[in-house]
Amino acid sequence: MTEIGQNSAAVLAPSERGRRFGWARTTLARLGGVTLAVLVVGTYFAIRTNGQLLIGSNILTILRGLSTIAIMGFGLTVVIIAAEIDLSFAAVYGLSTNIVAVLWLTHGFPVYVAILVAFLAAIAVGLFNAFFTAVVKIPSFIATLGSSTLVFGLTLWVGQTQNLSYQYPPIGHTVSGSQASFFKNLGAANLPGNFPEQGIWTLSLLVIFAFVLARTLFGFRLKAIGGSRPAAEVVRLPVKRYIFIAFVVCACTACLAGLLDFSFVGTASPNDGQAYLFPVFAAVIIGGASLSGGKGSAFGTVMGALLLAVLANGFALIAAGPFASQLLLGTVTVGAVVIDRLTSRQRALT
Amino acid sequence: MRGLRKRYGDTIALNGLDLDARPGAILGVAGPNGAGKSTMVKILAGEVDRDDGEILVDGTPWSTEYGSNRVAVVHQEPQLFPNLTVAENVLAGYEETKWHWPKLGGSHRELFAELGIDRVRNRQLGELGLALQQRTEITRALARDARVMLFDEPNSALTPDESAEFFRLIRQLADSGRIVLLISHRLTELAANSDQVAVILDGRCVRLLEGADRTAENIAETLVRGLGTTPAGEAAAAAGDAYRGELGFELVDVTDQRHAFRSLDLGVSRGTVTALIGVEGSGAREIVRACGGLRRVRGRLRVNGRDVRSASLPRHVSYVAADRASSLFSNLSVGENLVIRMDHEISRGVLGLRPRTMRKIAERLRTDFDVVSAGIDVGIRSLSGGNQQKVAIAAAVGRKPDVLVLEEPTRGVDISSKAEIYEILRAFVADGGTVVLFCTEVPEVYEVADRLHVVSDGRLSPALEVAGFADMEALAKGVASLETHGAALREAS
Repeated sequence: MTEIGQNSAAVLAPSERGRRFGWARTTLARLGGVTLAVLVVGTYFAIRTNGQLLIGSNILTILRGLSTIAIMGFGLTVVIIAAEIDLSFAAVYGLSTNIVAVLWLTHGFPVYVAILVAFLAAIAVGLFNAFFTAVVKIPSFIATLGSSTLVFGLTLWVGQTQNLSYQYPPIGHTVSGSQASFFKNLGAANLPGNFPEQGIWTLSLLVIFAFVLARTLFGFRLKAIGGSRPAAEVVRLPVKRYIFIAFVVCACTACLAGLLDFSFVGTASPNDGQAYLFPVFAAVIIGGASLSGGKGSAFGTVMGALLLAVLANGFALIAAGPFASQLLLGTVTVGAVVIDRLTSRQRALT
Repeated sequence: MRGLRKRYGDTIALNGLDLDARPGAILGVAGPNGAGKSTMVKILAGEVDRDDGEILVDGTPWSTEYGSNRVAVVHQEPQLFPNLTVAENVLAGYEETKWHWPKLGGSHRELFAELGIDRVRNRQLGELGLALQQRTEITRALARDARVMLFDEPNSALTPDESAEFFRLIRQLADSGRIVLLISHRLTELAANSDQVAVILDGRCVRLLEGADRTAENIAETLVRGLGTTPAGEAAAAAGDAYRGELGFELVDVTDQRHAFRSLDLGVSRGTVTALIGVEGSGAREIVRACGGLRRVRGRLRVNGRDVRSASLPRHVSYVAADRASSLFSNLSVGENLVIRMDHEISRGVLGLRPRTMRKIAERLRTDFDVVSAGIDVGIRSLSGGNQQKVAIAAAVGRKPDVLVLEEPTRGVDISSKAEIYEILRAFVADGGTVVLFCTEVPEVYEVADRLHVVSDGRLSPALEVAGFADMEALAKGVASLETHGAALREAS
């Protein structure tokens, strides 16, 4: 019990003080620390940049900026709710871009086949992680630390340490125009108002993940399994199956994020994705997920990603230099979680 | 059940257990910890496989699948999800939806109302006290409409009123033709509420008591005879007399920062065991935790006549929690748990840990406190509940504190360990120590305490001398009248 001495009298009869400002507290608590942090940081940069932060085109830039992190964050959220850890998704991101680049551009397979192979590879990594975690019962931190390195090695081998671009295929190879435009339309289609297509992916996935996590039996049981593994074993929840699903989903979102970025940026290189490991974790944790499991939401994760994107964008606009953004990112990561703890204590009182 | 056998490594948990439970009747099961009760529960619920023996339910062979679906267990320590709400906890595992987030059915709502947890059904379970958590688990079992219901110390955290209500409920369950097994260490309750009582010793059913034979005395006699020990006598009671008159521990004008009690004065004589008794929510538990330094309070705390600042309180006061999960380190061995509270005794400075001294001290404590274990290097979880509790108390006493503060020191502990724990506490006060206890059960107070205060609504009753009561019934009456008195005061104000 974390709440020492919570007595049942107080439980059954909430104090008057709690009731009077009940609605204000609940609203604040619902918004949570992240939303508050986004508002504070957003306001700060909006003032510092004389409103540049809030003009339409910049907001679209921010939306694109948060997409990659949010998409991978959804998958990681699922794993973290189940009280596991996945350190391998960044490597899966790199593996997927390199598989597609090499199969399609170097070996001339149709892009559709290449994408399919990339997803199969991601699923294989997810199964690998889940097998060692749920069946062999190695802590997932260690299992995925290992698989992350394995996958990175595989990526270096597949990618032959070269950069590949589908707009400028390697000499001696050609790319079918229809396939190139299909792949470009995956993540960088021309949409009205220059709306970033990755933003649409993010919002659709947000709806799907939010629904699955908060409205389905899967979400319910996932939360239960993450909350107490022994209790889940006692009532025979399908713990193993859920851990398998969680790791496969996480790997697949990483694969998707990689392919969308490849489509948008145009080039794939063996180091792809490595830089995303920390920001994605930060987004998920800032978004209210608990590393001890049983807690987390898709909306929170998007807000976490939004916070990081606003920070990155704001610092770029005021040209503050890399040290400032790192310092603030650290502060915000800790600060958002602290605020969330305070508001959730408030929630406990209402 | 016929000839049930189960062995874990070298330990024989069940040695040919025979037991018959009739539909429509409550079968009580008594036995010291380690007798095989828990193993029997696990086998019936399909959690572990039996080595040998046969189980029939309604004339057909029992299967693991049947165990998981139609046998419900209400556990001693609730096996629930702290991060889910009360309502969600009742549903988890039996959602009855194909894919949708599960919803509470109307019949569930009735159950909630019946068990008095309807108002908290949307609260997170982890925020609630043990009593409400346990009621949630009972609701869980009832909601499943199971055929066989096993209650493993189900009401150990309930108040007397709640317990009475609970026993009415399980009687109803039995009347509806279910098979009900009630496992308990509270022999009076077993005798009063079950139709038959089976006494289990060393993995075998040694006696089945029915009808007029079914008395707490008979059960206790069977248990004690089997164990070859007698309950602790009152011989030790006067041993702490040399220190009477001195105050061992005082709270002066102490106010809880979370409003559980205010301006409280408590004086505990040195060389005595003083119990605070009160239902959940009365503030008794909170006051005892404040004595142990676990709650933030304003006011003065005095040990043996000297003021103690809250920062240095741990040097004088050792606190033992009610549940063993928070008083022991499950990842450490028995020996490590025994010395975990020490510092300069086992280490020179911060870096100079002395492993050999640690072992020596641990061995000594294990012998002194009669901890039954295969040496000090085995994991703490391999011990029975009673022995784990002895380790927790030994670790607290081993530091030689002035004051020992305990919450429900014998909850879920078998009768012989109980007697041993009482002896440890008596020996501690005989040496000039002071003990403050939080209790929920009158028999415990009667057996171990010199004095008691009844707590209601955050206020203490005047001290009662336990020796001033003729017998346990008189004491129980005294406590009950003070509790009602307190409730009446509360309503008047």
